[in-house]
Amino acid sequence: MSHRAQSGAAHRRIIVWSLLSLLALTLLLPLIPYAVAYVAPVAGGVPNPGSDLWRAVREGEAGTTQVQGVDSGILINASGETWRHFRMQQLIPLGALFMGSVLALIVLFFLVRGPLRIQGGPTGKKIQRFNVFERTTHWFTVSIFWLLALTGLILLYGRFVLIPVLGPAGFGLTASACKEAHNLFGPMFLVAILMLFVTFVKDNFYARGDMMWLLKGGGMIGGGHVSAGRFNAGEKIWFWIAVLGGLVLSVSGLILDFAVFGQGREVMAISHVLHGIAALIVITVSFGHIYLGTAGVEGTLGSMTNGYVDEAWAKSHHDRWYAEVKAAGSAEHETAPVDDGSPARDGVMDTRG
Amino acid sequence: MFAQLVDGIFWDIALWVFALGVLWRILSIFRVRNKPDYSVPRGSGLVGAIGANLRRFMPRAEMVSRTRLHVVAGYLFHLGLFALLLFAAPHVLFIEEQTGLGWTPMPYWAFIVAAQLAFIGLLLLWIHRVMHPVTRLISDADDHIAAILTFVVMLTGCMALIEEFDGLRVLHRFMVELWLVYFPFSRLMHAFMFIPSRAFTGAWFGRRGVKA
Amino acid sequence: MSDRLTRGLEAMRAQMDTRVMSYMSSCVHCGICAEACLFYTETGDARYTPIYKTEPLRKLWRQEYTFWGKLAASMGLSSKLAEQDLADWEELVYDGCTMCSRCSLVCPMGIDIAYMIRKVKEGLAAAGFSPEGLVEAGKRAVEIGSPMGVTLKTLQATIRVQEKETGLVIPLDVAGADYLCLLSSGEVAGFPEFIGSLAKIFKATGVSWTLSSEYFEATNTGVQLGNSKMAATLVERVVAAAEKLQVKTVISPECGHAYSTIRWDAPNFIGRPLPFEVVHIMELLDELRSDGRLKTAGFADEKLSYHDPCNAGRRGGVLDQPRKLLNMVAPNFVELPETGAMNWCCGGGGGVSSNERADALRLKVFSAKKRQLDAVRPAALVTACSNCRHMLEDGLEENEMHDIELLGITELIADHLAEENS
Repeated sequence: MSHRAQSGAAHRRIIVWSLLSLLALTLLLPLIPYAVAYVAPVAGGVPNPGSDLWRAVREGEAGTTQVQGVDSGILINASGETWRHFRMQQLIPLGALFMGSVLALIVLFFLVRGPLRIQGGPTGKKIQRFNVFERTTHWFTVSIFWLLALTGLILLYGRFVLIPVLGPAGFGLTASACKEAHNLFGPMFLVAILMLFVTFVKDNFYARGDMMWLLKGGGMIGGGHVSAGRFNAGEKIWFWIAVLGGLVLSVSGLILDFAVFGQGREVMAISHVLHGIAALIVITVSFGHIYLGTAGVEGTLGSMTNGYVDEAWAKSHHDRWYAEVKAAGSAEHETAPVDDGSPARDGVMDTRG
Repeated sequence: MFAQLVDGIFWDIALWVFALGVLWRILSIFRVRNKPDYSVPRGSGLVGAIGANLRRFMPRAEMVSRTRLHVVAGYLFHLGLFALLLFAAPHVLFIEEQTGLGWTPMPYWAFIVAAQLAFIGLLLLWIHRVMHPVTRLISDADDHIAAILTFVVMLTGCMALIEEFDGLRVLHRFMVELWLVYFPFSRLMHAFMFIPSRAFTGAWFGRRGVKA
Repeated sequence: MSDRLTRGLEAMRAQMDTRVMSYMSSCVHCGICAEACLFYTETGDARYTPIYKTEPLRKLWRQEYTFWGKLAASMGLSSKLAEQDLADWEELVYDGCTMCSRCSLVCPMGIDIAYMIRKVKEGLAAAGFSPEGLVEAGKRAVEIGSPMGVTLKTLQATIRVQEKETGLVIPLDVAGADYLCLLSSGEVAGFPEFIGSLAKIFKATGVSWTLSSEYFEATNTGVQLGNSKMAATLVERVVAAAEKLQVKTVISPECGHAYSTIRWDAPNFIGRPLPFEVVHIMELLDELRSDGRLKTAGFADEKLSYHDPCNAGRRGGVLDQPRKLLNMVAPNFVELPETGAMNWCCGGGGGVSSNERADALRLKVFSAKKRQLDAVRPAALVTACSNCRHMLEDGLEENEMHDIELLGITELIADHLAEENS
């Protein structure tokens, strides 16, 4: 055989085998990972590219989309289910339990202990405890708080309590109206809380005697005299719960109310949780405040309606404040306060109108 | 049925009662005989009348510290209310439908701000009225009804922003009708009566050369 | 219905005019008027709220001029104005109000509350619910010609003393003089140097003037009492005296309501224009100053302030003139805070100082004046009303503020007349 004849056939053989190898590699190489996975399978069962994708979607991982907007890269908010579960299974029932049991405790306390009477009975002589502006600020806050609390509780509990009464269509209208009203009065609440804070903060810092007052239970259990300044420790605690709770409510509320500043669903959900918890706490503690301000302690309501309290009330509940007022009063001339009503002539309070 | 009445005959009645009532109240102050003033004026009564109408919008310097809440809350309420009445988008549309006159409404955020300020003002004023011994003494049912009715009109108005429920809009309109019918026979007439009152007093002091 | 109530209602009905109708429809019960009234601010008693003091008039308006009021009254649903209301309001209106008009300047609705209080007084006076002291003063004014009982004899005696002290003739009953000067009994009795001061100033400035022996009283108890008939009677006496002496101008002396009465209300009491012009003595002095006839020399060096009498200043319009005059002689003139048209009332005007029952109250509300004075601590307080001056004396005494001297503005000017003129 000659050299030339051998190279021509070999050449053809090389080319054919090369092409066949390339084809085989092209087809076989991608199958290697599958072969590996088949031989050594990954946890989660049979690998499926589709399920991996949807798993990633469900976990809330952000993808890229052409749509511009907050959260638009997240197709399904996985944490939303957590939030819904929390609201329906924990916030609502536990909140009802919390409010209900505190209310029941208060009623029980009233039935057992009765109202705290003024020691030695009222003297009939009055001193001013709160001026017009302080009372106006308080009731301004109260009226907005009640509106928000009522509409808010309807939003939380309405479906259980009102649908049986109004029917689904009626409740739909009511709840929507309540939502609008709640959203409207929300920002005002921040104004009210700030006014309340500025008006009352200076007497609500810790002072000597507060711890003793707390340890003695404010004299509510077992009676006995407990010393206090203008506000006792219990009132101070309520003040800070109301203010701080109120701020949490306001800030979370504003986040929820004006959802146009880039809040994502996570932020909204967390805000709602904080809003709900803070609301239930403040509402529940307010039950105690309302009780003590009305039926619970004789002679207290007048301080916030007409501004005056009996001197005996002042001496027994806020002795240090009473002493300060008396000292200041004797140092001044006999001129009546300029901005609002001191008792009319004859020392009898003018409560007409 | 109720909605048809509210959108129909009730509205007509309310408008007529309001218009005729206000007119009658204003004209009726002239149905008593008046004596002329024979004194020789030092200054112009007309200038005094106009001056008082403008000056009394702000408190005198000596009264600022004593009337802060009245002035601040008063203006928050009145300015907020006028802004809502004239520039809230639903109202602008309504006025255009009724009269053909239209103008640019305020943006939604401005509506919210106006509503907040109006409510804050009204609440503060009404609570102050109840708390202050002077206003507690001189206030009567009329004062409270006027305040509460206005509050309810404003509240139902804001609730009616949910347009899916026509019932809320009807409720608001019905409250407005009640308010319009109540207006001429009530404290709300101050909205018109302040003009002649300021004018009479301004003229009286103006003739004496005193800026009132 | 009792006789008293009938009279009271009739008198108040006659007072209904368009201004009252407008005002009653405008009040929104805001309570700002109370913040301007010294009887409220210094006592804290809400019953002294100015618009509350007009309650009898308001009730009448409501039950006879308004839809709801007429309806409610006819159905027996509302309490109609009763005699007890008039009785209850006597103290509020006569003891607790000087008609100073401070409230009228601050009402946001522009209500002239003091104007309406004057009308309430018509009702109370007609029904016989006025303070005894003031009623007696009114009787004396009508019968003797002076609410304080100052007779012509007393006046003549006073004139003689002044002539002796000044060495000048005090003209009496000079027909054809340019100016007839009226006098308040308070001046004649308490501050007679006013008469001497007039003589000095008018001599120096060449003003032809006279007093009248027929009728000299500047004050008008009818106005303070709320009795238009009495007011008109007293005005007619002034007119008669002025016409008899054929004067061109009548001078109202250092008194507040005398000026507002004779200058502004008098023609309306008698139903016709006055046949003469009227000036407050301060207006005349200021005229003399501005045309160069009044020249002063020397200064009152101490720190002094000025108290604007309500009826001369706020209700009368004589506000700039005292300042211009004081600037001539007082280099240390310091304004009180809240002065001029918004000055705080001394507490004694409007008949309150003639009402002994109101003594304790008017001294109590002097604290408003005290506040003004404490802010400035002047050595002297100048005023242009003898009634204010008496009240200020009482108030300063009560508060042991012995270091403040009280001065009348005319006397102050007279004491500083330039040598070449006097």
